[in-house]
Amino acid sequence: MPMYGDQGNKLVQHAKRMQNLAHLPPYQTELVRAVTREVRDLDKDVASLLEPFQGSFDPSADQSTACTLLVNHLSMRRNKRCLLAYHRTRTDKLEELVWNGSDVLDLAGQQAGGGANGATAAADGGASSSLSPQEEDYVRQYGDLLAAYKGQWTDIDLTGSLEPPRDLFIDVRVLKDAGEIQTEYGAINLTKNSQFYVRQGDVERLIAQGYLQKLG
Amino acid sequence: MALPLPLGLTHSEVAFVAEMELVTVVPRQRLESIDLLSGKTPPLRPPHRADLPLWLALLLKKQRRANIVPPPWLYPASLADIVHRETKVHPHAFSEPMPTASRARQSQPGYAGRIGGGDSSEVILSPPFRSNCTSAAPAGYLPYHWLEVAEALITHASDDLGGNTSEIRGLLRDLVEVRAAKMRDSAETLGAEGQGGVVSLRGVGAMELAENRGFVLGVVDGVRKIGGAVETARREKEEEMDLGGGDGGRGGYGGDGDSDDDMGI
Amino acid sequence: MDIDDILREVDPTFHAVPQEKRNLQELTRAWIAERSAPELLPWPADGLFERVNDSIKRQIEKVEEMTGDMDPKTNFALIVIQTELERFKYLVRSYVRARISKIDRHTLHYLSTDALRARLSEMELAYATRHQALLHNHYLSSFLSSFPSALQNLNDSAGINMVETPDLESAVFIRLLKDTLVEGRGVDSDGAMDGRESDIVILRWADAKTLVENGSAELV
Repeated sequence: MPMYGDQGNKLVQHAKRMQNLAHLPPYQTELVRAVTREVRDLDKDVASLLEPFQGSFDPSADQSTACTLLVNHLSMRRNKRCLLAYHRTRTDKLEELVWNGSDVLDLAGQQAGGGANGATAAADGGASSSLSPQEEDYVRQYGDLLAAYKGQWTDIDLTGSLEPPRDLFIDVRVLKDAGEIQTEYGAINLTKNSQFYVRQGDVERLIAQGYLQKLG
Repeated sequence: MALPLPLGLTHSEVAFVAEMELVTVVPRQRLESIDLLSGKTPPLRPPHRADLPLWLALLLKKQRRANIVPPPWLYPASLADIVHRETKVHPHAFSEPMPTASRARQSQPGYAGRIGGGDSSEVILSPPFRSNCTSAAPAGYLPYHWLEVAEALITHASDDLGGNTSEIRGLLRDLVEVRAAKMRDSAETLGAEGQGGVVSLRGVGAMELAENRGFVLGVVDGVRKIGGAVETARREKEEEMDLGGGDGGRGGYGGDGDSDDDMGI
Repeated sequence: MDIDDILREVDPTFHAVPQEKRNLQELTRAWIAERSAPELLPWPADGLFERVNDSIKRQIEKVEEMTGDMDPKTNFALIVIQTELERFKYLVRSYVRARISKIDRHTLHYLSTDALRARLSEMELAYATRHQALLHNHYLSSFLSSFPSALQNLNDSAGINMVETPDLESAVFIRLLKDTLVEGRGVDSDGAMDGRESDIVILRWADAKTLVENGSAELV
């Protein structure tokens, strides 16, 4: 017969492993249920142990019962702590995905369809997994909360880069005619061999496509 | 997680802060004053020098609109002097940090404290806001952001270093090495028995802190956690002695009689 | 030339710094401190962020005005303004997120007393309260509601404490802003030193806190 606490340990191990993963492994529905059941069983044990005393239990008079009660009490709290840690580790991951702007629910849906395990991390932030229905709700609600919080910082994109800004503007040479592009400064006509000092964000795609070359 | 970064500034964050240091430029073109969030820039009129934050000086430099005047501490003679002091004169201490301008103390008699808000309370400035990297800064000292500023100038303005770039680079490398060894020694002392809870790294630079932060603080925290029981027992004992009418006070203050040049490690 | 300008020239630390420059100095110090402290620091009470946000908003409006009718090749001032604007936005963003990250990690702790709650801005308090409610609901719907009712709270401390707190004994680096006595606790002995201005000192955050709060030192 398994010891009390074994299942809780498994949950914590899951949580621990999860911290180092890029994706979110499947929710351990069965394990969560088992640990929760154990708590209820322990609680029933406590009630039946105390029942004969009719509310007048004296620990010093019956030390072995007192000891059992204490162990049960601590086991219940330990299980609660394991469950909290497991769920909190997962919501931390989910929140991180929301901050990164990943469409968590969309990703979760795709992954669930294609078999939840083993799937390699998706390109965008590495979300993959099946969420519990409660977690799906949570993601939605946290997304709303974050959007509301962000909305109060109108001029600062809170989900923007956490790397200090460098080289906001760069020198580029036009390798092939790319026509006119719209930038924050208005239109620029990109004719071959001309050189411009432009906002990097405005031309990243053109650099990737080989129209422009970054200088210096 | 809203911020997936460890506590303490990262390398790139330190470099970002260093770009706030003022440096001196000689403009090659006129440029009218610009109304920035941090205040108006001085109008640029060649050949008159002006002090600008490093990020802006670098922007001007890349556009060939200005040359940067290297700070006196970055001259080979000054660097060689510091290398000599760090290796021969005080082989166990970082060289003295750059002094505050001589008048600073007199002009701030009360030291009103924090950088205040809208009121006129006095401000105690610290790097990067101390003009430690302008042409008016003294030679013979390393400012807090010495490595970052030196690297930025070597990378982007080496033609302004008077043809001494390779010599400067070599001296900087010597400094990095000798000071890294001091940092390692200090970490050893940190773990040593009898360490009194306060350690000074006077003269250390920002990048050196960023480089060693995790390790150094990890040692201190590790020693504390391992010694938790010992410390608790010691405190209980000291408390008993205090209650028993002993001479009171906290046990074992030490280490404040060291010479000024020691790091106090 | 104004007497303050003369003073400023001979003494770069002279206090008469224009408000704009001070905003940057305060913002930078607040950001470095928050990025370095093991616990959430008080939200600046002096309206720093209101001032910074207002000036950012005005600067963005100015950029929009300037962009319409300018030649992109020659408009260097605009490039400078935008570059600086990004630097400010980055500072605010990183600061705000460093705080949210700390609040998220120990939400119940920061909501637990009035003194701790007072460290949060109004916005942060609303965020933290709602976030905690969402989490509690999530736990309830995932497992907690099938627990015995006595075990359904999140802040019970009987047996095992469920409210996690930041480690105030973590070591930090501070810079002394003036000469001052620095006292710290160690394992084998406690210590004190006559600190000098510009000293960089390693000690426990709990021991450094008073010096930082009274302006004798800053976190680095």
